[in-house]
Amino acid sequence: MLLNTASAVISFVTKLEEETAKFYNELARKYPEGKEVFLSFSKENRKSKLMVERAYYGVITDALEACFSFKDGLDPKAYAIKTELAEDASYVDALKAVLEIEETIRKLYMDAAVLSEGLMADVPRVFNIVAKKRGDRIAKLKALIAEG
Amino acid sequence: MAVLEEPIKEVVTIKNYIDGEWVESEGELIDVINPATQKVIARVPISTRDEINAAVKAAQRAFPMWRATPPLARARCLFRMKEIMEERFEELSRIQTMEHGKTIDESRGETRRGIENVEVATGIPSLMMGYNLEDIATGIDEYVIRQPVGVFGIIGPFNFPFMVPLWFAPYAVATGNCIIIKPSSEDPISQMKIAEIAEEAGIPPGVWNVVNGGRTVVGGMLDHPGIEGICFVGSTPVGRDVIYRRCGETGKRVIAQCGAKNFLLVMPDANLERTIAACMTSFYGNTGQRCLSGANLVPVGEGLNEQEYEAFYKKVVNAFIDAAAKIRVGYGLDETVQMGPLRDKGKKERVTGYIEKGIEEGANLVLDGRDVKLVGEWPHDAFLNPTAFEDVSPDMTIGKEEIFGPVASIMRARNLDEAIEMIHGNPFGNAASIFTSSGKWARDFQYRVQCGNIGINIGIVAPMAFFPFSGMKDSFFGTLHGQGREAIRFFTESKVVIQRWF
Repeated sequence: MLLNTASAVISFVTKLEEETAKFYNELARKYPEGKEVFLSFSKENRKSKLMVERAYYGVITDALEACFSFKDGLDPKAYAIKTELAEDASYVDALKAVLEIEETIRKLYMDAAVLSEGLMADVPRVFNIVAKKRGDRIAKLKALIAEG
Repeated sequence: MAVLEEPIKEVVTIKNYIDGEWVESEGELIDVINPATQKVIARVPISTRDEINAAVKAAQRAFPMWRATPPLARARCLFRMKEIMEERFEELSRIQTMEHGKTIDESRGETRRGIENVEVATGIPSLMMGYNLEDIATGIDEYVIRQPVGVFGIIGPFNFPFMVPLWFAPYAVATGNCIIIKPSSEDPISQMKIAEIAEEAGIPPGVWNVVNGGRTVVGGMLDHPGIEGICFVGSTPVGRDVIYRRCGETGKRVIAQCGAKNFLLVMPDANLERTIAACMTSFYGNTGQRCLSGANLVPVGEGLNEQEYEAFYKKVVNAFIDAAAKIRVGYGLDETVQMGPLRDKGKKERVTGYIEKGIEEGANLVLDGRDVKLVGEWPHDAFLNPTAFEDVSPDMTIGKEEIFGPVASIMRARNLDEAIEMIHGNPFGNAASIFTSSGKWARDFQYRVQCGNIGINIGIVAPMAFFPFSGMKDSFFGTLHGQGREAIRFFTESKVVIQRWF
């Protein structure tokens, strides 16, 4: 089922932020060497969720095309993420899993911003801000993986 | 996607809120039905003449104390109302979906718009200021003071159960008046919730009253000499022939915002993709039950030859029909739903009657919403899918009367002049929109069209809280409008003082 209303997309995005924040907290407990990074990601996820919710609840009015603002819609299957790791996964395996998640989420924000740009100005603006932050995370994760 | 949790779990018995007390009415109780599920969610009383009289008495008693309350203190009550509304935002929104049927996105939009009016009214210490001039003659000064008037009646419609009374109530109360709200008996729960919030925010007894009911309550308001003015939103026959006329007879101030038949013009240079998205929300948002809904879609062939116009017309109509056919219809608490049911079975029957009339009068039904297809399993009683007619002329019933449902009438106009003539031929003058990239056409449209709310590349021309909600011709009766500065003027008397000291 495609997500084509603002409400459906916001719910989907915020749910992903919550799920991944929880996953990053678990990783912080499991991998002391990455504790700081994972906890900072988790904290920032909650900020991103709040930013998105504030943008949506702040600008939604009956004049905006909220029910029609994501064109043909987003396919949630295209943004499926895995928040499970093998028991014996190493720290680098964990970083690689997080990288995959972050790339998926970044793509989701970018796609959602493009789809909605014409009709709900503040929401795609926040999507782009969060996508940019995700880009910074991705660079950081790649550097950590390279360090081994 | 799952349906969001319903905030109303048990049947609510609605009471009146009079003089700071929740009072059971002696009137008959009628069912409030969730139009999507057809379940009874509340029972609302049809209050008596004595009950409206009691509310007026309470409001009159409260008025001297409230008008003497400093504007800043009155504003602080509204700040608290805003805070509580923000805290309960989601609950308030979901209640609207349950009692009216609109989608959750639409309900949240309505909640936001309502809150915005409370926010604007919190600026009352500045908004209510008068003005003065020294030395109008030597040693003589003159000034204007804005003073509250007394008790006002607010009669709400069913289509925006939360927002519409807030076009008036916060301004009336902020300026020091007392109010009695009569919500629509079809969806009265939102106004009960707002009264709870007013009470919690510390608005004193008698200042904010709610009396539920029907004609008896409206008649009681109109006849009562203690009510200084009436704000009404509803149909033109009631607004013009009952509210406006009776207010004239009894010397009351009046704002009567009424029916509409809104034209949306699409020019050859319009951005079609964005135009179509705006059209979907305009024609089918709130299931077409808005006085700002698009009703007549007119691709305009300005500057095109016959062949070019035919190609342009087909492009617009095909894109419109394709998009409309894809609209997901169902229970508004399902977040993927784009259009909810009509408010009730009777309204569906009325709209279906118009569809039949359109066929009978020779319009071409290109999208038949009577073949109901829903997301999820819901009783079909109040549902219709998007509907569209081609080959509609302005003199056909569906081309000229307000349908108040998800039905688009598509018309042809060879140039802008012809399209504007069509708009002017219709008795209503609520809103009209043009979709174009041409500043000249847009300016021409804005300058000439006799409608109160003009959209340029906007599908729903809903004025923000700090602007008046306008309207002309058979869409508005009165002088000043709801919202913003005009509401402040409406709810105050300008007293002029000229002073000289010997």
